[in-house]
This record gives sequence, C-alpha cells and structure tokens, in this order.
Amino acid sequence: MAGISIQNVYKNYGALNVLKEFSLEIADGEFVVLVGPSGCGKSTMLKILAGLEPASGGKILIGDKDVTDLAPGDRDIAMVFQNYALYPHLTVGQNIGFGLKMRGTPKAEIDKRVREVAKILAVDHLLERRPKALSGGQRQRVALGRAIVREPRAFLMDEPLSNLDAKLRVHTRAEISALHKRIGVTTVYVTHDQIEAMTMADRVVIMRDGVIQQIADPDTLFARPANLFVAGFIGSPGMNFLRARVEGGRLTLFGQTFDAPAGVGAGEVIVGIRPEHLALGQGNITFTVKPTLVESLGSEKYVYFEPGAHAYAASRDEERGKGLIARIAHAGPIREGKELLLSFDASEIHLFDAETEKAMN
Amino acid sequence: MERTGSQSFALYVGLAVVCGILLFPIYWLFVTALSTLAEIRQLPPSFWPAEPQWSTFTKVASERPILLWLWNSTLAAIGSVGLSMIVSVFAGYSLSRFSLRGGRSLGLFILTAKMLPATLLVIPLFGIFRSIGLIGSLWSLVLAHATLIIPFTTWMLKGYFDTIPRELEQAAMVDGCSPLGAMFRVVLPVATPGLAATALYAFVLSWADYAYARTFLTNAQGSWTANLGITTMKGEYVTDWNEISAAAVFIALPILVIYLFLERYLVGGLTAGAEK
Repeated sequence: MAGISIQNVYKNYGALNVLKEFSLEIADGEFVVLVGPSGCGKSTMLKILAGLEPASGGKILIGDKDVTDLAPGDRDIAMVFQNYALYPHLTVGQNIGFGLKMRGTPKAEIDKRVREVAKILAVDHLLERRPKALSGGQRQRVALGRAIVREPRAFLMDEPLSNLDAKLRVHTRAEISALHKRIGVTTVYVTHDQIEAMTMADRVVIMRDGVIQQIADPDTLFARPANLFVAGFIGSPGMNFLRARVEGGRLTLFGQTFDAPAGVGAGEVIVGIRPEHLALGQGNITFTVKPTLVESLGSEKYVYFEPGAHAYAASRDEERGKGLIARIAHAGPIREGKELLLSFDASEIHLFDAETEKAMN
Repeated sequence: MERTGSQSFALYVGLAVVCGILLFPIYWLFVTALSTLAEIRQLPPSFWPAEPQWSTFTKVASERPILLWLWNSTLAAIGSVGLSMIVSVFAGYSLSRFSLRGGRSLGLFILTAKMLPATLLVIPLFGIFRSIGLIGSLWSLVLAHATLIIPFTTWMLKGYFDTIPRELEQAAMVDGCSPLGAMFRVVLPVATPGLAATALYAFVLSWADYAYARTFLTNAQGSWTANLGITTMKGEYVTDWNEISAAAVFIALPILVIYLFLERYLVGGLTAGAEK
C-alpha cells in the first residue's frame, strides 16, 4: 500500500488540452473518486496514472517511487475496467491468476491465492467457468478478484459499475466500499455518477473541462460548493439557481428583502437553493408559487414552478429549462396550477458571483 | 415474431433451391468422375451412372502424378499462408491499434493493392523472379501468392482486431505484459476465429491459383501444382473427362476437409462484430 502524489500533470492531444495542471495528494489507504461529466478528463487522468497513456508533462509518485515513465506492469497497481476486460479465452481462475503468472509466481502459490480471493468474492464455485458463462455481477467480482489478488499498492477503477443494472449497482457499490475498508488499499475511482462519488469516497475530486473544480469530502462538497458548477453537479435533483441583486447588504428574492451574508458586496449574484431546503408552508422567507408540474415518488414530491424575474439557467439544469424544483417530503395533496406556500431559511442559501461563478459565502 | 406454416414452407423451398444451385456443380463433378466416357457423352445425360467407375480414382492416383501436384500445391499454400499471416497479423494489428503518421494513407494504399488484378502483376513478378533465379521454384509461388493475399488478409485482420476491446490489452499490460506480450497472450488467442477464417481464405486463394503457377512453373514439371497439372490432362484430340473430374475431386477434397475442421471457428470469425 502507498499514497499517490500527482504533481502538475497535463495532457495535450495536439492543440487540444484535455487535462490542465492536475495536482492531487492521495493518502495511503484513501478512497478518492474523480467525478465529472463526459469529456472532463477523469478517465484520461486515470489512464495516465495507470501508465496506459503518457502524460504530456508533470510527475506521478506512488509511495516514494517516481512512476511517471514506468510501464503499467511496473507500477504495482491494479485496474478494474468499465467493461471488466476479462480475458475471454481463460477460465475465471486463470483470469484472476493472470497477473501473478506474469510476475513469475509459483503455480502452487497462484492456486492458493486465487482460491483465497475467489472465496472472499464468493466466486470460488465459478473458477473453471469462462467469462461468457457469468452474469454481469459475477464478471464484476472476477474483475475485482483479478485486481486484489496481486495485493497491489493502489487500485484504479474506471466506472466499474456502469454496466450493471440499477439494483446490482447499489449492491456492488456497498461491496466495493466494504472491500476497501477490509483491505485498505489506496483507491482511485472514476465515475460520472455523483451518487457513487458521494457514497463511496473519502474525498471527491470534481472535474470539468480538464480542470479540478473542487477537492473535498462529500459533506463539504454538498454544504460548501466552491462554485456554481460543483453546486449544480452535486445533489439530486440539482440545486436551484436564481438571479438576484444585493444592495446595501440586503438581498431581494421572491419580493422579500433580507440580510445578505456578511462580506457580500452590492451587485448581481446567483442565489443557490437546494430543492430539499424548500419547505411547505410558512417559514423564515415565505413566498407563493403556482406548481407547473408535480411528480410523486411516494415518500416525497418534486414540485416544479416558474422562477419569474429570477430566471437563471445553469448549464446542468438546462434540461429542465428555467424551472425551479422543491423536494417536499411527506407532502399532502399538491395540485398543478393551484397556489402553494413555500419557504426557506435564509441561512441555507448559497451565493455565487455572477461573473466568476465562484462561491461568495 | 413466429413464422406461419406457409412462410416456413416458402423459406425451406427457397433454401432447397439455393442449396441445389450451389451443390449441383459438385454433384455433377462426382457423377462425371464415376461415369464412363460413353455415359458422359450421351444425350439426354444420365444423372447417375449405371455402374459407378470407382476405379477412375485409383487410375488417376496411380497413373498421374496427382499426389505430387497436390503436395506442391500444399507446400505453396502453406508457405504463402504462413508468410501472409505473419505479415498481416502485425500490419493489421498496427493499423487497428496505432494512429501512426501516414498510417491511414498506408492502409488505403494496401487497400488499393487489393484492387489490382493478379494477372497485372504476372509480368513484373516474372522479371523479378527470373533475375533472382526463382523461376521454376515453388518459392516464386509463395512470394507471388503472398503479394496477392497480404492486402486481403491485412484488412480482414484489421477489421477483426477492431472488434476486440482495447481494454483487454490494457488489462494485460497492467497485469505485467509488455505491449507485444499482451498481443501474443491475449489478443491473438481471442482472435483465433478471425485468424482461422483469414488463414483459410488465404489458403483457398493460393490453392485456387492458376495464372502464377502457369507462368512461373511451366518448365519445371516436378514443381507443378495441382491446378497447373490438371490442365495437362486435357488431350489435343481426346479428353478423358472422367479422369479430369476425378483429379478435380482430389483437388477439392483438402479444402472441404479444412472447412469441416475449421467450421466452428469460421462461423465465429465471419460473424465477429455482429453483436456487442
């Protein structure tokens, strides 16, 4: 086991700069998740870390060893791929033991370790089968087995759950977390799914267009997003954004004026309110809305309404237009078009600079 | 959607007609080999000889050097398939996996070589082989067939390698293989159906050649291939069509046997990429 130090790594494809000055210190045994939308550079970073892509510049250390120019097999890492990448011509046992065989481990030792790992992952009854005879979940376990059998210094995982159905994904997510707690190997995990990132990570690295947006633990990311992108990316449904003005230290929203957080100067700002921070009925700041759509999930309802003069479309929410959303737990009957009283606590709003999109409070 | 009875009937009738059209020449070859010369010439023709002349096969095998010709064809085919496969495995893999400067143009250049008719190359190849003393040697056929086969096999294999996920090699490299090791230990075993289909295709191309053998080997009877030898069985005034047909059956047999043995690989190889 070892920590990983990524220092100013960047990657260009000709004139295209897909990864910009990426630096990250990962502690020994830490579970770090790289998350971001497609094309943000997270998989490129993982491949550079694995040695499958050369970096255009920068340095990578695993433990104290500079591995920047080492071949993948010399880095003492293991990787789990999105499509599992099991060798179809080998049995499950041979797949798990392949890495050990490549390193010249004696056959008896390979057999012993393959059986141990297969038992941990509950695939010991499948050792003689070929990958095509396995279900998606079993293939995933075999891919994990192939990674852990070598006892590498770090695990790299490239969207390992995205080929599983929703139910199995939740189950396997918990299994990977439990496995990490059990063996404690430093893990770098790539996903585009913020729920995976939030539930599994010790720390999350949010990326966009090859640039790190924020590095923090899940709770901090949710409570104190560094910018508009992070605020919109984390949380489901995403944060509501509204355009508003601060004048004389007072913020006006939905016809109500209240104190803006300390230190926020006059001018236009973007206000962020999480859907779950909007409550039904009277509260600290109360306003009336006319729901345009109500979605019931049984235990809660998503109430959509128009923002009126505060309309602001952040890129992530373009798909739902400029509408706002309130997530109301245990709500009674709510009808579309019938006026509704909503409220929020002024202390729970987020303010972002309208120009730089950086958090102000 | 389930087929109705009439749809099934139409399907099977259609299949029977297609099979009949495809198999009739082979059937007629056997009938001719087993018939007497009189039966061959009679009108209307007989669709099965009154007394099948099995002795025609033994006669051809004992009186004509058909076994030597088959042996020469086999040597030429194995040599050209071996050479072509070695070159095209590496070339196809490179075209599939590496974005080299000019790689795309090179691939297209190889593709255009596929479009050249074999006979166009006969004269320049004859000149080259004469200058290096290969005329009359089976090596001339091996090299000439390779020039014909390599463009085909390179593109066939490139297409097959394209269907193999790169993650397999990447996983092998993370597991400790070199890039070449990953190719030999993972990609080639996975590509076995494609390799088998390509090798068989190359074998048939070489086996079926007549133009090159006729040009390079005419004056060296000991090196004649089966296709060249069989044409010498046609006499100026009299032709024993039953013997020629028996010899043709001998020539067709190896290909049929290879097809039977490689059938399960071929189906996999030819349908690769058809499913995710």
